[in-house]
Amino acid sequence: MAMAGNEAKQVGEFEFVISRVFDAPRDLVWKAWTEPERLLKWWGPRDFEILSAKVDLRVGGVFLYHLGSPDGLEIWGKFVYREISPPEKLVYINSFSDPAGGTTRAPFFDGKWPLQILSTVTLTAEDKKTKVTINWLPYSANEIERKTFEEAASSMQQGWSGTLENLTDYLAAP
Amino acid sequence: MTTDHLSTTFSALADPTRRAILSRLALGETSVLELARPFEMSLPAVSKHLKVLEHAGLITRGREAQWRPCKLKPESLKAVDGWLEHYRRLWDEPLDRLEDYLRDIQTKGKMEKKNGNGRK
Repeated sequence: MAMAGNEAKQVGEFEFVISRVFDAPRDLVWKAWTEPERLLKWWGPRDFEILSAKVDLRVGGVFLYHLGSPDGLEIWGKFVYREISPPEKLVYINSFSDPAGGTTRAPFFDGKWPLQILSTVTLTAEDKKTKVTINWLPYSANEIERKTFEEAASSMQQGWSGTLENLTDYLAAP
Repeated sequence: MTTDHLSTTFSALADPTRRAILSRLALGETSVLELARPFEMSLPAVSKHLKVLEHAGLITRGREAQWRPCKLKPESLKAVDGWLEHYRRLWDEPLDRLEDYLRDIQTKGKMEKKNGNGRK
């Protein structure tokens, strides 16, 4: 599926990119991202339980998931697929949702997190390993949402977390 | 902490010198003179950085005119760290789990269909 003009990254717009190499063949990594029973095994933050999930893997189809945190918080979210090119590229719009699949605000960032994020997952074969690169771009976001996104994402990319972890360790010390 | 205040804090943290100053202060309170030592910059330049950190609520400074010891302000850092934690979870954790899952099923090989509980 061709990308419409408004989906392209604007000049100067901040895009979050993260990548990691997995010790697994590309076909397997693709399956882990696209087959419901496999997605259920890993999607979501650690300690969260997938309470239910539905995957409709086709362009325009939805992956709707329901997560439960250990302290009882329940989160719904979804992917709406825009491009499915096995085994190398998956493009979807990620958002939080209500149980019926209606788009909702993130339960954090004071409602200033982008409502929708265009996510591109690229799988590159490297010998017997697979490099997964995820690009995140706010989709149809307003100025405030873009700013929140940029602050959060750039803070991670600049490695502030390392500094903060050190400091937090210090703070935790008696 | 409001998002506006967080913005101020994040722009204060966006500078490597200021992060280095914070790391130094994690060892304990100290003077401007002491803080300036590892950096090749003038005292007024260091003072400027300290002002930014103070304005962002990341440090406090003593009242004595000459000896104005700088000190980390823990609450403020905790708020920043808590806020970043949300973000860290968005990708780091799913990717950690994907890594575990891929390792598990490749180790188990054909045993995989036995509905092994890969989640932790």
